[in-house]
Amino acid sequence: MRFIKNTFLLPLLILLALSAYAQEFPPSPNPPRLVNDYTGTLTPDEWQTLESKLTAYNDSTSTQISIVILSTTYDYPISQYAFQLGEKWGIGRKEKNNGALILVAKDDREVFIATGYGLEGAIPDALAKRIVEMQIVPAFKQGQFYRGLNEATDTMMKLAAGEYTADDLKPPFPYELVIIIGVFILITLTGIYASYRQAKRFAKTNGIDLHTAWRMINAARRVQSGSWGSFSSGRGSFGGSSSRGFGGFGGGSFGGGGAGGRW
Amino acid sequence: MKKWIIIGTLVLLGVLIYRFAVRGYNNMVTLQEAVSKAWSDVETQYQRRLDLVQNLVNTVKGYADFEKSTLTQVVEARAKATQVTVDPQNLTPEKLREFQSAQSEMSSALSRLLVVVERYPDLKANQNFLELQAQLEGTENRIAVSRNKFNDTAREYNTFIRRFPQNILAGWFGFASKAYFEADKEASKAPKVEF
Repeated sequence: MRFIKNTFLLPLLILLALSAYAQEFPPSPNPPRLVNDYTGTLTPDEWQTLESKLTAYNDSTSTQISIVILSTTYDYPISQYAFQLGEKWGIGRKEKNNGALILVAKDDREVFIATGYGLEGAIPDALAKRIVEMQIVPAFKQGQFYRGLNEATDTMMKLAAGEYTADDLKPPFPYELVIIIGVFILITLTGIYASYRQAKRFAKTNGIDLHTAWRMINAARRVQSGSWGSFSSGRGSFGGSSSRGFGGFGGGSFGGGGAGGRW
Repeated sequence: MKKWIIIGTLVLLGVLIYRFAVRGYNNMVTLQEAVSKAWSDVETQYQRRLDLVQNLVNTVKGYADFEKSTLTQVVEARAKATQVTVDPQNLTPEKLREFQSAQSEMSSALSRLLVVVERYPDLKANQNFLELQAQLEGTENRIAVSRNKFNDTAREYNTFIRRFPQNILAGWFGFASKAYFEADKEASKAPKVEF
């Protein structure tokens, strides 16, 4: 009995717990988005306005402010849910932890602003509390979710402005690319030099001038291996964030900063 | 000739075992350091709470007619919690339970105090008090997060040292498994200070 319990029941329980866990936390959005409304509260226009505003802010400052609207946070206190979701998705840059998450649990009528480690200085708990109580809660009470979120994000953007810059968002110098091109050029030059030597020898042994020999050698080579050189070059992507749309979360971490409220 | 093959095989085997031991040992050290760091984060947050409680007690003391018994309980619980410290190298379940019970005694004394405060409108409106309340709330959040993170790193470390064949190495070098935080009884929904 004990054996059965240990070998079958325990893994089953763990599996169940894991699947429940997975259900309770939505997976990171794909394609990445900063504003995620799982309840259909925002109209497409409202969503678009918020998304492009926050994406532009991310592009210029590297600070990621994300909004998630859910119906409930299950048995979790909303604060803990917010920290875990933010950590799981990795909102904010990894080195700076400059992410923030505004989590709305609509049916629970609760809201929480979670700030990453790196934003705790710019948006201390007391200010987060004030944003919730003076901007979000009054608007939400009137059912104006967009207005509350819009004003709150404006305030947060102002507070966090100047804290970080997007300088190091520039793609790093592509050393790999330079090396690959260098090797490629070297190979090509070696090939040409080899052909030249061959042509010179050919010219010498057959008593023709170098130019003709060169052309003959190359013609012969082309016949030999027709496909040489007709390689298709793949479209390379070198990191840089595209100007359209949000590029993705950066792996930021949350330590418990922020504040929330009810409406 | 045959002798050399045997010697060669033995040397090769020795080198392989050595490399396995070195890598395993180093991984264990790295993971153990991560656990120690997570533990120091936990202690920092708890320490912060003790400091805030000290300030809170001082603020409340100013109100002459404030119920003495509640205040005394908080002071005593705080004194007790200050004494219990745990060395991250020695994170046994008993030690951790001791730490946790001292801290949760502190939590309940604190929440009793905050309930009593409800009866003192002046105090409730005191700017200093309000600020301390907000900071305490933030600290409770940080404690919960640091505890979660500690459990995660401890789990990673424990899983590593208890797996075969690392468990043999862990036995040789004396790497012991670390205890986890359990959910508090009275605060199964995360430590929460009601305001």
